[in-house]
Amino acid sequence: MELLRPSSVAELDGGLPIHGGTEVVPLLRDGILHADKLVDVRGIVPSGVRGDRIGAGTTLAELEADATVPEALREACRLAASPQLRNMGSVGGNLLQSTRCWYWRLKYPCRLHGGDRCHAREGEHREHAIFANDFCASAHPSDVAAALLALDARLHTTRRELPLADLYRLPNEASRELTTLEPGELLLELALPAVESSVYLKAMDRQRWSFPQVGVAAARVAGEVRVALAGVAPVPWLLDGPGALDAATPLPRTAWKVDVARALVRRALDRV
Amino acid sequence: MPELTLTVNEHRYDLTAPIGMSLAQALREIVGLTGTKIACNEGHCGACTVQIDGVPTLSCITLAHNVSGKVTTIEGLRDHPLVDAFVRADAVQCGFCTPGQVVSAAALVAASPSPTIDEIRHQMAGNICRCGTYPRIEEAILHWRD
Amino acid sequence: MARLIRTEKEVEGRFEEVWLVVEEDPLTQWPDGPLTVVGREATRQDAPARVRGEARYTADVQLPGMLHAAVLRSPHAYARVKKIDLAPALALPGVHAAIGPGDAKGLEDEPGFNGAAVAAVAADTFAQARRAVEAIAVEWEELEPVLDPDEAVRREQFTAPSSRYERGNYEQALASADVVIEGTYRTSVVLHNSMETHQAVCEWVGDILNVYISTQYIWGVRSAVAAELGIPGDKVRVVCEFMGGGFGSKNDPGEYTFIAAELAKRTGRPVRCALTRREENTAAGNRNRTIQRLTVGARSDGTIVALGGEFVNGVGWSGWSAMTEGPMQMLYSCDNVRTVRHGAKINLPPMKAFRAPGFVEGTFGLECLIDELAAKLELDPLELRRRNYADSNDGKPYSSKNLMECYELAQKHWERRDEVRARSTDTVKHGVGMASQIWYGGGGPPSYAWTRVGSDGRITVVTAMQDIGTGTRTAMAQIAAEELGVPLDRVEVVLGDSARGPYATLSAGSSTTPSVGPAVRAAAADAKRQIIEIAAQRYDLEERVLDIKDGVVVSQDGNVSTQLADLLEILENSQILGKGGRGPNPTGMSVLTFGVQVVEVAVDIETGEVRVERVAAAHDVGRIVNPLGARSQVEGGIIQGVGHTLSEQRLHDPETGRILTTSLDAYRMPTIADVPEIVCEFVDKPDEHLTNLGSKGIGEPPIIPLAAAVANAIRDATGADVHELPITREEMLRALGAAKQKERRGAPAAV
Repeated sequence: MELLRPSSVAELDGGLPIHGGTEVVPLLRDGILHADKLVDVRGIVPSGVRGDRIGAGTTLAELEADATVPEALREACRLAASPQLRNMGSVGGNLLQSTRCWYWRLKYPCRLHGGDRCHAREGEHREHAIFANDFCASAHPSDVAAALLALDARLHTTRRELPLADLYRLPNEASRELTTLEPGELLLELALPAVESSVYLKAMDRQRWSFPQVGVAAARVAGEVRVALAGVAPVPWLLDGPGALDAATPLPRTAWKVDVARALVRRALDRV
Repeated sequence: MPELTLTVNEHRYDLTAPIGMSLAQALREIVGLTGTKIACNEGHCGACTVQIDGVPTLSCITLAHNVSGKVTTIEGLRDHPLVDAFVRADAVQCGFCTPGQVVSAAALVAASPSPTIDEIRHQMAGNICRCGTYPRIEEAILHWRD
Repeated sequence: MARLIRTEKEVEGRFEEVWLVVEEDPLTQWPDGPLTVVGREATRQDAPARVRGEARYTADVQLPGMLHAAVLRSPHAYARVKKIDLAPALALPGVHAAIGPGDAKGLEDEPGFNGAAVAAVAADTFAQARRAVEAIAVEWEELEPVLDPDEAVRREQFTAPSSRYERGNYEQALASADVVIEGTYRTSVVLHNSMETHQAVCEWVGDILNVYISTQYIWGVRSAVAAELGIPGDKVRVVCEFMGGGFGSKNDPGEYTFIAAELAKRTGRPVRCALTRREENTAAGNRNRTIQRLTVGARSDGTIVALGGEFVNGVGWSGWSAMTEGPMQMLYSCDNVRTVRHGAKINLPPMKAFRAPGFVEGTFGLECLIDELAAKLELDPLELRRRNYADSNDGKPYSSKNLMECYELAQKHWERRDEVRARSTDTVKHGVGMASQIWYGGGGPPSYAWTRVGSDGRITVVTAMQDIGTGTRTAMAQIAAEELGVPLDRVEVVLGDSARGPYATLSAGSSTTPSVGPAVRAAAADAKRQIIEIAAQRYDLEERVLDIKDGVVVSQDGNVSTQLADLLEILENSQILGKGGRGPNPTGMSVLTFGVQVVEVAVDIETGEVRVERVAAAHDVGRIVNPLGARSQVEGGIIQGVGHTLSEQRLHDPETGRILTTSLDAYRMPTIADVPEIVCEFVDKPDEHLTNLGSKGIGEPPIIPLAAAVANAIRDATGADVHELPITREEMLRALGAAKQKERRGAPAAV
């Protein structure tokens, strides 16, 4: 395996990008990711907060500590992962993290791995999705993605500029990808609009260092309230109205998440 | 095999190691510093915590070749007042997680010399202790300067 | 004079009879209360080494030329190895040897659970060994697994014959009861997940096998390895000075030791075989799940007249069926008890003892049942326990029992109930619950210690015991220092090596302090006697007027006052050697430990979140040797209890029987942020019948009542009955929903 360290975007030439490494290193070791060439992109991805711009290389710890960052994003960072992982992990990497679904992580030949079954649907799915779970019942684990989705963030990559929502896609028969990233495309920067108020509430089964069972981000942006959820669908999930939870399609052992989501959404809306 | 240089506890080490070797493994097997423990090898438990430029970092998922900063391991903290504080507070049972706890705690008190209990619980939550020394660790950190 | 006697020994609730050589000259117990060293807080002697990372664990053992082993484990819940070809593995770079089924104990050709070991490879690096293991060609015949314990019971597929017990007339008593409560309680599979995984390094030096192993039982490994390899015990040296946790899972050698020994034999090199964390979560053992169908019948004044239960232990493919019915039989005075316990043989990884096996699970079921009884009878739960206090163990007297004193200590915490409940809001309800516990912990023979006093007046205690993190090493030093009359820092304890030191029992079943402690005291007394004899000769005085206090040899009249080192400096290379052994347990008595925990919880009734806010623990374990270490054991046990109560659960795929929670992000143990306020009190009364110490073990008692106390606090806060561990949000919301239904149907919510 090679390790390259380009000093500009122009030098990028294939390979698997690595920043904090908190996702890539374990997945390489597990044989879920494969690479002959690792590309350390810490020299080329911007980091730091400048006004309404957040470099994709900014760590969660930096965002947690920055009082100029909207509350929902700060709180999502604060409650995410462990202190060490927050020190190491970039916000860009966090947006791109993979599901914790045990079937996927143990390399069952499931839909996301190109197979034709969702083992969770028929098997052990108590931590899985309540929306869009027909094809794949995995849950997206990023608190930060839910917060940024509620905050109506926009994303700048090496190729385009897009609303964060367009970074994600649901897997289907034609493609099992959960993002719309093209090969070689890197996240560079996030841009946030003016935020009047925002909040992030997280249900976990221990007080810290736990992926969201249900995470609820709410933000008042340009007079409108946006609510996005973590842990409830294969991608971060924007609720499209108050009745959205009634349209949830829980599995037998994820019905409890609907109750939790209802309570947290109500509380988040009260706060925002 | 590719070469790399690590600065560990103020000493410079020139090593050869394959790309992909973790910092934890390099420290333990090449540099010979076994104080840093590997308990899960996938970044979930914190036992392998070292400081890189003073920042608590999981050495088991850090690539040895990707380290660009000064590494501090438990061996570099052997004279830190926290060591005595941990002993006095009985903040050690089997001790396997303890080096990682001390490394995280040292960073905490460097940034916040009189941490509150909430700060301690928040900043130490990434260091799992199966024996349950947590209340003792809290006490050790609260009284580290006594 | 040596005598050979037959006596009863208990470990983890299992009894056996052993032959024992006893020396006469028993010591009388020390007086009650804190002494000079024993009963006083002492920091751990080995703490600096552990804290600084200087302690060498098995994981740190690096021998020249050492190879690394990787293990091929069955991916199937039940399969037969039809064909296995190791050649592709042997062809890979760095590989030195490969072994298959039958080549070492633990390598199976009909693996009965996901994770059972089948083959192993030794290579220069672990990565190479892993790649080689993946190259081994296996033809599996998949067999039909049985995964459900009730199904196994239906098929009469048991790990051991079912255990049936009855006293009195259960049916008649139940029929006469004013109130009958029935309930089904379930506990889940919980994993030890010690921070140091199971591992061993084996090295042949001539015909001696050195085994460096993370273990709770140095001598047990020595015997088992010697027996399996067909070599004399003294050709096996087992070393474990520091180990990273066991909690019951490391009482025996494990397949990794035999794999390492065989590969070391074949390659002529030392071999490390260490489980990865994934393997640890799969195949290293666990607390088995239980299904408990329980019944209690009582009179309206609260007298329990009948207790009955069917206990199904989901033991796994092997393992022993723990006494889940123990608390029901033993905790309360009830003349009519009937229990049946099945050990279900299922195609899941085998149980291994985990901190009070059987009694943790059984106390959850029983103490929730009794609490529901209290609610039904509208009786104070603590008062109900008092009313059914057992004065004997079904007729057999206790060597000591101070559970009533524990209840007294708990009273002030129990009286916080109104104040705690008053904090409830519309969405978060606060409540208080309690549970009591009974367990073993008297230890037993044999165990031995030697003492060695040199011309510098320092004492070395030598015994081949292990300190698994409980602080027993320091406790032994305290005992020796107290007996000899020297300051604690003059005593060094040497342990952890079967080649250095006599037999010591395993560190499980809360055994070490009550087993090795008395041996250490006896050995110290032997040395002291010799020192006094020397002093008597030296000063021409009678022995009875001489003593050692604070390291100074003194005479009653005050004329002699000599530092021990000054008295002994004439010895030069001569030494004073003392020895001592653990005597028998009291006959005709039950040696048991007792305790109670009062827990305060907060329940968010909309999200199902449960927070354990405060635990007050009162335990009766005889004399406390080190209050500092003892408190740490209580806190540690409670925190492990919080884990199995709220968030820990091993899950498997229902279709294939494969383990799903193989990593620590999925198997979630408490973090420092999950710790409640813990208040810890000890009765600290020596058991006057038990050894020269009067001490019992504290390792297990604190984990036992926690889960039930939490469930009972939840009932107090919300009226909801949780019947399943862990109390996930899903279970909490289910129970809240059921309580609401009950309320709507007109039945009063409890309390």
